[in-house]
Amino acid sequence: MGADGGGGGGRKSSSPAGKPAEAARAGSLLAGLPSRGNFVADSIASSMGGLPIYVCLHDTAPPEGQVIDTDTTNILIRSLQLSKQKNEAKDVGSRTPGESSKGKRSASRLLDGKNPSKRANTGSTAGSSAHGELGSVFSEQTLQSFTVEKLRILLKERGLSPKGKKVSTENA
Amino acid sequence: MSVWNYVVTAHKPTSVTHSCVGNFTGPNQLNLIVAKCTRIEIHLLTPQGLQPMIDVPIYGRIATLELFRPHNETQDFLFIATERYKFCVLQWDGEKSELLTRAMGDVSDRIGRPTDNGQIGIIDPDCRLIGLHLYDGLFKVIPFDNKGQLKEAFNIRLEELQVLDIKFLYGCVKPTIVVLYQDNKDARHVKTYEVALKDKDFVEGPWSQNNLDNGAGLLIPVPAPLGGVIIIGEETIVYCNANSTFRAIPIKQSIIRAYGRVDPDGSRYLLGDNAGILHLLVLTHERERVTGLKIEYLGETSIASSISYLDNGVVYLVKLNLQADPNGSYVEVLERYVNLGPIVDFCVVDLDRQGQGQVVTCSGAFKDGSLRVVRNGIGINEQASVELQGIKGLWSLKSSFNDPYDMYLVVSFISETRFLAMNMEDELEETEIEGFDAQTQTLFCQNAINDLLIQVTANSVRLVSCTSRELVDQWNAPEGFSVNVASANASQVLLATGGGHLVYLEIKDSKLVEVKHIQLEHEISCVDLNPIGENPQYSSLAAVGMWTDISVRILSLPDLELIRKENLGGEIVPRSVLLCTLEGVSYLLCALGDGHLFSFLLNASTGELTDRKKVSLGTQPISLRTFSSKGTTHVFASSDRPTVIYSSNKKLLYSNVNLKEVNHMCPFNTAAIPDSLAIAKEGELSIGTIDDIQKLHIRTIPLNEQARRICHQEQSRTLAFCSFKHNQTSIEESETHFVRLLDHQTFEFLSIYQLDQYEHGCSIISCSFSDDNNVYYCVGTAYVLPEENEPSKGRILVFAVEDGRLQLIVEKETKGAVYSLNAFNGKLLAAINQKIQLYKWMLREDGSHELQSECGHHGHILALYTQTRGDFIVVGDLMKSISLLVYKHEESAIEELARDYNANWMSAVEMLDDEIYIGAENNYNIFTVRKNSDAATDEERGRLEVVGEYHLGEFVNRLRHGSLVMRLPDSEMGQIPTVIFGTINGVIGIIASLPHEQYVFLEKLQSTLVKFIKGVGNLSHEQWRSFHNDKKTSEARNFLDGDLIESFLDLSRNKMEEVAKGMGVPVEELSKRVEELTRLH
Repeated sequence: MGADGGGGGGRKSSSPAGKPAEAARAGSLLAGLPSRGNFVADSIASSMGGLPIYVCLHDTAPPEGQVIDTDTTNILIRSLQLSKQKNEAKDVGSRTPGESSKGKRSASRLLDGKNPSKRANTGSTAGSSAHGELGSVFSEQTLQSFTVEKLRILLKERGLSPKGKKVSTENA
Repeated sequence: MSVWNYVVTAHKPTSVTHSCVGNFTGPNQLNLIVAKCTRIEIHLLTPQGLQPMIDVPIYGRIATLELFRPHNETQDFLFIATERYKFCVLQWDGEKSELLTRAMGDVSDRIGRPTDNGQIGIIDPDCRLIGLHLYDGLFKVIPFDNKGQLKEAFNIRLEELQVLDIKFLYGCVKPTIVVLYQDNKDARHVKTYEVALKDKDFVEGPWSQNNLDNGAGLLIPVPAPLGGVIIIGEETIVYCNANSTFRAIPIKQSIIRAYGRVDPDGSRYLLGDNAGILHLLVLTHERERVTGLKIEYLGETSIASSISYLDNGVVYLVKLNLQADPNGSYVEVLERYVNLGPIVDFCVVDLDRQGQGQVVTCSGAFKDGSLRVVRNGIGINEQASVELQGIKGLWSLKSSFNDPYDMYLVVSFISETRFLAMNMEDELEETEIEGFDAQTQTLFCQNAINDLLIQVTANSVRLVSCTSRELVDQWNAPEGFSVNVASANASQVLLATGGGHLVYLEIKDSKLVEVKHIQLEHEISCVDLNPIGENPQYSSLAAVGMWTDISVRILSLPDLELIRKENLGGEIVPRSVLLCTLEGVSYLLCALGDGHLFSFLLNASTGELTDRKKVSLGTQPISLRTFSSKGTTHVFASSDRPTVIYSSNKKLLYSNVNLKEVNHMCPFNTAAIPDSLAIAKEGELSIGTIDDIQKLHIRTIPLNEQARRICHQEQSRTLAFCSFKHNQTSIEESETHFVRLLDHQTFEFLSIYQLDQYEHGCSIISCSFSDDNNVYYCVGTAYVLPEENEPSKGRILVFAVEDGRLQLIVEKETKGAVYSLNAFNGKLLAAINQKIQLYKWMLREDGSHELQSECGHHGHILALYTQTRGDFIVVGDLMKSISLLVYKHEESAIEELARDYNANWMSAVEMLDDEIYIGAENNYNIFTVRKNSDAATDEERGRLEVVGEYHLGEFVNRLRHGSLVMRLPDSEMGQIPTVIFGTINGVIGIIASLPHEQYVFLEKLQSTLVKFIKGVGNLSHEQWRSFHNDKKTSEARNFLDGDLIESFLDLSRNKMEEVAKGMGVPVEELSKRVEELTRLH
């Protein structure tokens, strides 16, 4: 097809590349060009037939949810929102032990309500005086709001063992 | 002309804006995808070469084109973003051969300043996000979720305002971009950012590099494991990466705008610069560490806008050789694709003086500059001709049945037949074929099986041996009857005598055997039995045209049973019938005595006729003949307007031939001139070769410099143009500007006039002055001095053509650039910077002439384009749209009558008629304005009313009255006035002013078609064609999209019927009306 004619006739003159040694180097640099099996025929025809025009007759709507729009929130507001969210998350993060203790606390409250006898039992143990002491200084609610760290300090101040679960410590 | 306009593309965009290679149409298919502004072409790479697949129109100007491979997919998806901020992701459905839309959307922002350096669209190599840089200071991210679906896009503030390029880096844990930017001291730096998708923000990246080459403009990311980026500057190429590896090499100063990666690991790249030099850049590396860079000269090509390495050493357009050719070039051009863009200017001329316009364009930039002669129709290049009067028929014969080439040419006259043969010197000389009857007119000649020749005359059918040239057998017409018409193929003869007798003969054992004889009720006017079935030597169908009842009949062979009768209607007798197969589709063509042609689809096995169509080809009787060119069969219709009928995409197309009147034609395929045609014209027999069969024929006249303005002068038979040559020495760049003169037939350079230093040619016209019979070329120039913002000095040069030379007659200095010149009432009208100036042609006492300023009009920003009609002047301003001026003879003054108060930046204007003017502006829109001469108030009269608006999507450089097609005085289409436009991307288009009734009909068709033909990627046609600039977007009005309307003809028959039903019009009528439109271009 037109390939040979176009190639032969269409070649443009170009300035010589300089020394033969240089030319050889460029040649060696061109060695091993990647090939995936195309353009291997002896005479390569680059245009084989005409190019049919594509007429799009099918529905071209994208799948659901794939019509993409831009988030219209102002960048500043978005970043404020994001940092607010982050701060909240941080607050939440810093409160995490408390939060986890909340569950325990409510559980303990549940326990308290449901099984007063158990508390009575614990009350009869050796630590009852401590509990009494602590309980006398702080209301149970206040104790609930204390972190484990703080409770430990309080216990240490009173010469009590800082070991054990929070619930039992409080009870103590 | 009218306000109801129809816009259609005659020549599609040809400048390639983007290209990429990947597995798009199948996991094992490698494709080249090329974007040409508003179209994409998909090609398949094969061992034999590049196989075209489809050409897809896109409802938008393509801004970015990228292939990417989402996770868990076996083939690539195509990402396209348009300049009007739409994007879509396409997937190829191999089963249905359809382009599926995987996602689409709008990425525009309500506020934001569009980037100066064009839109950037990039995709993370690990497919985590798509990045877009559309507005200064913003980087838009469209993230992918883990299933490969796109999520809502968001913007990130980008500190760098003057971004030159952004690319994603390979092999990064987090998606990382590298930004090349310019600071407010014009120094250039690169910086990296990681995109934190969760925080929707940038995190300072791993590295940056300050103070690069001042011309750095392109980034090439290097794939993992090397990683990093190559920064291409004008004087250095730098590689840097996160491990603070820094390698640089100096290069010869050049601007590199295109690159293509050769190896998948990124160790070699092809770079194309602004002079068309192709370089190879090599990254040398050891153990995943880049140790150095090397650059090598490969050769010279066209100036590249995009480079794609295809496979096995073949680059898009260019082949790489391992051995340098004698010029030291490693580049071999495999195929050239004609690019008309940018069309800077053009003129419409009728070079062959046949009433058909040809467009001569100034195309190409810098060293690729050329003139192109674009002509509708097919050219026949005459190789030899001889005077011969009274030719009645022409046939070619081979010396033996299996010979590939023709040997004899049989020329029949009213009372004799002559035989010409190719001799050893490949010359035609008269010879004799003893067995043939040379004393009478020949009705038909044909090579037959068993190395026989058939000659049909009025009295007999003769069978002659090819070798001995002696009569072998003969069939004589019955007493009292003579053969009127006859046709034959390799083994059959069909002839008709007076009285409606039809005789069918077969050649059996070198004998003529009368197989069947019937009598029809009327006289027979034409017959044909060209084989269209599987057997090329035997036809089972015959076509017969009839007098009296004006019908064409299909008969079966050998029993001559009537299969089908088709009444043609009217009173004109069919004069030629032809059975033929084009692109695997069988047709019956039937030509009438008045130049009309019927075409039918023919079922070759049943003889059924469907899809009847009628077209007008000329005004005289037509004779039809098949011929073949490059292995494809076409039909030649000889008449007063010879036409080639060919098939493209299984549609019949009609193309004019550049010959005036052809009486007879036969293919004459000789060894010396293969695929040539023998053509009998009035008093002349000629042999010619035929151009490629395509609608537009383009001839290139290379200039090696860029032409900017062109005009034609009929009287001196010349073309003149302004051009410039870019000279680059190692020290400095300069431009030299010329006015050149060409012969308009041979395109030979006749004369050259070099302009002064810094002087540019801005306009050129051919004109004559009152009281002077000579015709002159007037050239307007400007002195473009580096220190001036606007030229303050120019010249008007008046040349006469004397003995093929440009003679400077008069020169006149002006106070600015002469952007436009017009001949105006025997005077010269010039647009000089912000002023319109009229010059008189005055005779001095010494007999010489001078240009004398008569009057002028101020009040423009820059008057760039002027058109005149009578005393009216239309001015296209740089930024103040169109205004209308009038010249008042009595007062000798130019006054403004009206203007369009919109702020359109004009790129071309033309007056459609006295009332309506058309303009093109720099946001790719066209619009029409109307003079309000009947308005009640002065205020209204002073306003040009905008009556039509349309988004063309192309930058128009010139609008001119004219037509690309032959105007038939009797056809309806011949009355429709047209304007031709030429654009930067090489589009040549037609704007046709339609009658209101037709406009309304087509508008309805367009709105019906929109429901059937969807935009690829779900892009909306309505939005695409809406008038759009920085200030407003408004729906298209009073313009129709001819490209959409004419795609009706590409629909399947069923769909056509559905559309016709939606329109409430019979499908035949609808196709006829659309087909007529296609003949406008």
